[in-house]
Amino acid sequence: MAINSTIRIQTHDFDLAAEYQLLRQLEAAVGAVVTFTGLVRDLEAHSSISSLTLQHYPGMTESLLQEIVDQADVRWDLIGVTVIHRVGTLLPSDQIVFVGVASQHRGDAFEAAQFVMDYLKTKATLWKKVDQNGLQHWTESKVSDQAASERWSTDD
Amino acid sequence: MIKLLFFGRLGDFAKGVSDSIDATEGLTPGTVRDRLLSNHPALVFELSQPQVLISLNQMIVDWDQPIFDGAELAFLPPVTGG
Repeated sequence: MAINSTIRIQTHDFDLAAEYQLLRQLEAAVGAVVTFTGLVRDLEAHSSISSLTLQHYPGMTESLLQEIVDQADVRWDLIGVTVIHRVGTLLPSDQIVFVGVASQHRGDAFEAAQFVMDYLKTKATLWKKVDQNGLQHWTESKVSDQAASERWSTDD
Repeated sequence: MIKLLFFGRLGDFAKGVSDSIDATEGLTPGTVRDRLLSNHPALVFELSQPQVLISLNQMIVDWDQPIFDGAELAFLPPVTGG
């Protein structure tokens, strides 16, 4: 089971290098660290974004992310997983999400990182509101994200 | 007392809705929704969309789940994090 998992929901930024070092230094057995960082894009539906505001359900979001990490830990041979998601108002190019996975071998780390991201996008209780030059709207969920998540459920 | 939470776009439709309701016998998420119908028909229309999930004390439940006093009931539109 998840030997080392870190789940954080925070308004402030994160330091990719520091998070990588924490995963790297977990154990001498760590032979692979895969990290993913998601950024705020400057465009949505071909129009520019002024800012993005993220809302979440405190408590439930952390529990759901922990469940996702626990599922990943069952499916792959992992040493550590870190998930950080920012909330509040963010600007284009800001870092929004971090997933880092440490394992003995690269295959487990690559696949688990993708699994955690795909599940995070379709299951974690987070919602984005986009501001495009003063006009605000809530982002719609994407069919492509749902499909990315569902491809992992075939061998459940 | 039951605490009510509306997330994402549902929050926009829930403006002016009380953040709690009295606990009564036989209360379920479905009957809570019915109670909102007369004063907030647009909200109830949105809550009735099939993609909307409901949680009771932060666990996903069905519309006919019994609700007890002190519970936290949340209405969750499709998530869009990441």
